[in-house]
Amino acid sequence: MNDDLRTLVSYIIYCYSHNHRPNQFIIYQLSEMNHDEKHQKPKTPTITLRKFTLSDVDAFMSWAADPRVTRFQRRDPYSDPADALAYITTHILPHPWYRAICIDNTPVGSISVKPAPGEDRHRASIGYRLAYDYWGKGIATEALKLTIKAAFEELDHLERLEAIADVDNPASQRVLEKAGFKEEGILRKYVRLKGETRDMVMFSFLLSDAV
Amino acid sequence: MDEQTTVLNRSRQPLTVTLREFELTDVDDYFVWASDDRVSPWWRWDIFTNKEDVLTFMEETVLPHPWMRAICLDGRPVGAISVTRRTAEHQCRAELGYVIASQYWGRGITTEAVKLVLGTIFGDMEGLERLEALVLVQNVGSQKVLEKAGFTKEGILKKYLIHKGKISDMVMYSFIPSEN
Repeated sequence: MNDDLRTLVSYIIYCYSHNHRPNQFIIYQLSEMNHDEKHQKPKTPTITLRKFTLSDVDAFMSWAADPRVTRFQRRDPYSDPADALAYITTHILPHPWYRAICIDNTPVGSISVKPAPGEDRHRASIGYRLAYDYWGKGIATEALKLTIKAAFEELDHLERLEAIADVDNPASQRVLEKAGFKEEGILRKYVRLKGETRDMVMFSFLLSDAV
Repeated sequence: MDEQTTVLNRSRQPLTVTLREFELTDVDDYFVWASDDRVSPWWRWDIFTNKEDVLTFMEETVLPHPWMRAICLDGRPVGAISVTRRTAEHQCRAELGYVIASQYWGRGITTEAVKLVLGTIFGDMEGLERLEALVLVQNVGSQKVLEKAGFTKEGILKKYLIHKGKISDMVMYSFIPSEN
């Protein structure tokens, strides 16, 4: 029994024990608060983005070692934290834009923005991964929204953010749509993934959409 | 081995379209489309104004290219066509590009050259499963070439490439041998 329901019941008992007629408005208010508590969707926890440090290796393993998370990634799950440490050192720390998705400053996933090669500096692609236990809470969508804002502010000349999602990964496609990305088309046999050639859905978020 | 097919010229005489590798001695012919101000707006490179620059371009870019061919009409180069893998990790895909001198536009020559490429490239490039082409949304002529050659339009990628200093929307086409 939650606090509001407890208050409601106590109020009713008080009224009847003191021969007061319960005030209908107070009853209504208390019952509405109880109703809202039960039927509200769980709120997305507050998330922040920050740079990785080497001491994040254990947190990093919570998603990087999980085959459910690496299913649509090119790499296999890590089994040795030493390999994860090497990856953080050689790939994450020197990366132009790579952030830990944190709850209470603890990483539960990561998100990165990679500028396009060559002269097309106006374009960058986003990738993200989240520990399995944190799926389905709106965290990836929230991380994307924060990243979109930060990327357009911090990366000079950026006009197009893009992301691709496997045709068999509808959860990731929904995350991108909820974050405001627009589907542009399906690119057939676009990437190699663990020995297979996959069709990918292309999404974009333009600077002109952010206004 | 030269790939070839036949198109008709304006008096309905057959002309043969063939593909072959470039040589530096093709510089005079290359200069024809590289300096053509009707071609230049549609091509990523700046217009060439002298043959020395074209020669340098052929030495540095054309001859070392992993897969580039002269489009020849009755044995004479009238354009160029190339297939380029842009990423090391995704050997399944490569990008088609082509250019042809403006006096030869509208005669089906480029379409024939593309078809010749389709007949050979999937055997030449191991692991290739997708041939894609990106075309400016305004380049209707090039879109028709691809459609006639059997490519599928997959979508428009907004603000995708910088073309001649301007951020441009590109139409993405692809040819998948198992599907097209």
